[in-house]
Amino acid sequence: MIRAGIRTTVGGFDLAVDLAVDREITVLYGHSGAGKTLTLEAIAGLLTPREGRITLHDRVVFDSSAGVDVPPQRRDVGYLVQSYALFPHLTVAQNIAYGLGHLSRDERRGRVERFARMFGVDDLLQRRPARISGGQAQRVALARALVREPRVLLLDEPFAAVDSSNRRTMRRELRQLAQRLDLSVVTVTHDLTEAYNVGDRLAVIDRGRVLQAGPRDEVFHRPATARAAELLGVQNILPGRVVGADGGRVHVATGLGMVEALAESCPPADHVQLAIRAEQIILERPDRPSAERENRFQVTIIDEAAFGFSHTLVVRVDDAASGAPTLEIDVPAHPYQVLNVPTRRDWRIHIPPEAVHVIAD
Amino acid sequence: MRRAQTFTWGGLVVGLSAAILVAFIGIPVGALIARGFIEGDVLAALRSPVATTALWLSLATSAIAVAVAVVLGTPAAYLLARRSFPGRSVIDTLIDLPVVLPPVVGGLALLVALGRHGVIGGPLDAAGVDVAFTTGAVVLAQLFVAVPFYIRSARAGFESVDRRLEAVSATLGAGGWRTFRRVTVPLALPSLIGGAVMCWARALGEFGATIMFAGNVFGRTQTMPLAILEAIETDVDAALAIAIVLIVLAFAGLLVFKGLARLGGRVL
Repeated sequence: MIRAGIRTTVGGFDLAVDLAVDREITVLYGHSGAGKTLTLEAIAGLLTPREGRITLHDRVVFDSSAGVDVPPQRRDVGYLVQSYALFPHLTVAQNIAYGLGHLSRDERRGRVERFARMFGVDDLLQRRPARISGGQAQRVALARALVREPRVLLLDEPFAAVDSSNRRTMRRELRQLAQRLDLSVVTVTHDLTEAYNVGDRLAVIDRGRVLQAGPRDEVFHRPATARAAELLGVQNILPGRVVGADGGRVHVATGLGMVEALAESCPPADHVQLAIRAEQIILERPDRPSAERENRFQVTIIDEAAFGFSHTLVVRVDDAASGAPTLEIDVPAHPYQVLNVPTRRDWRIHIPPEAVHVIAD
Repeated sequence: MRRAQTFTWGGLVVGLSAAILVAFIGIPVGALIARGFIEGDVLAALRSPVATTALWLSLATSAIAVAVAVVLGTPAAYLLARRSFPGRSVIDTLIDLPVVLPPVVGGLALLVALGRHGVIGGPLDAAGVDVAFTTGAVVLAQLFVAVPFYIRSARAGFESVDRRLEAVSATLGAGGWRTFRRVTVPLALPSLIGGAVMCWARALGEFGATIMFAGNVFGRTQTMPLAILEAIETDVDAALAIAIVLIVLAFAGLLVFKGLARLGGRVL
């Protein structure tokens, strides 16, 4: 378990992070420069915060009010830095053995061989880091960090230097590893797909602050703020005002017209932001009559881009107030073909009420 | 693929000026060596007491000077490379000062400080310790002029070590000293050895500060450069022989330094 509540300033950048990590993989997700690496450095002891408290598995390693600051070499944290930083003058075996100075020669050799096998680098032991690939370097660095059997593993952009074809395997292996070695893992990424695929929990960090942290799906589908929604890739964010509620629904007046959302997800606020993922909006043929009229809008396609598996349409709602935002809709390749989208510009869209996430403004 | 070199007037001018410069350094050095071997008997002259005594004194004093430079200079170089502290740039400049200062001024400064009536020399004298005009003074004079060469090179070496490697070392349980020994020094080693070699070459050739602070006493403070000065009036062959030894040692030192610089570039 990791508990970190720290405040510090590094070169004019304010970091004020609160983070709680249990036995699982937590992804610290944010743009570059958001403070992700600084947070890891503070946990590892490479950066001394101005104030705050950090505990690792109930052991206080930093507490500014009590004057505790355990140096990095005694924090028992495995830290995989970005691009791995293998020691260039040592062989793979010597790199892995580096942290085992406290063991006898035989124990050390046994442990190095076991971890080298575990990470599939046992045939590289006598090589220098300059002579292995990026993927191999990542495995060696992981073996080096874990051979000391820490309970906490910090990973800074662990998949950045790995081919995308190898990433999927490595993500799965990381999850297995965390379970097998009973690790609390914090991994940092600026890649949303990676954040979603790797993490059990997700913490969104922006400008030195954790905007939101929680179980992955909850954070992903229920961003706490408009900024978090934006960072989490929600393409459509509409300001609105709650004007009424009945039958489990709330009615929100927006520039597009009235939008219905589920009441259970609605915060007690009048002014709200509606976050709607592009892939959850449904495109319909306008000439097919629909029994229900709620959350259906006549639109015109004004722009379009294809991304292989899906098409992104930018549409303007026909009856929208002036200045109302356009909407983005993702249409998978198959319905795109069936509907024969390129043949016409005017369509109808349906926004399922359960796809509308209401954020207090 | 290299492009074929074609003739241009500009190329001719550049080539000519380079040739003139090479000749300017090469001819005097070559002439000295030629004269030593053709007109005199260098090997016999090297066996003269003046030459052998100066040679051994030079090797001993310069070796001690380099050892002291490494022991005291390494921490200083590390501090300059890794820490920021008030007065850092002043200290940095001060350490570089002997490189541009006329050595005789350095010798005079040492004499003023460590001479019999100096700030440090006075109390030492009262305690019965003489520094000036001893073999120890030779070492101090060499250290004074040569230590910046070591510190500059060592500092550049430490600066070239990726700090993330030191950070990773710490997270792998290594304290500051172990990290320094196992990561920082091995990676900076080519620069450290190269700096020590340059420092040694400079100490070996030291003249101005030595003659000012240590004098020119046969067997005690008369190193090779000082022996040349004396021998040139009495035994030209001996002067030439010592000069040739100095040239060979300096050349070898530079070759080692450059070899290490290339090696460093390849390893890292």
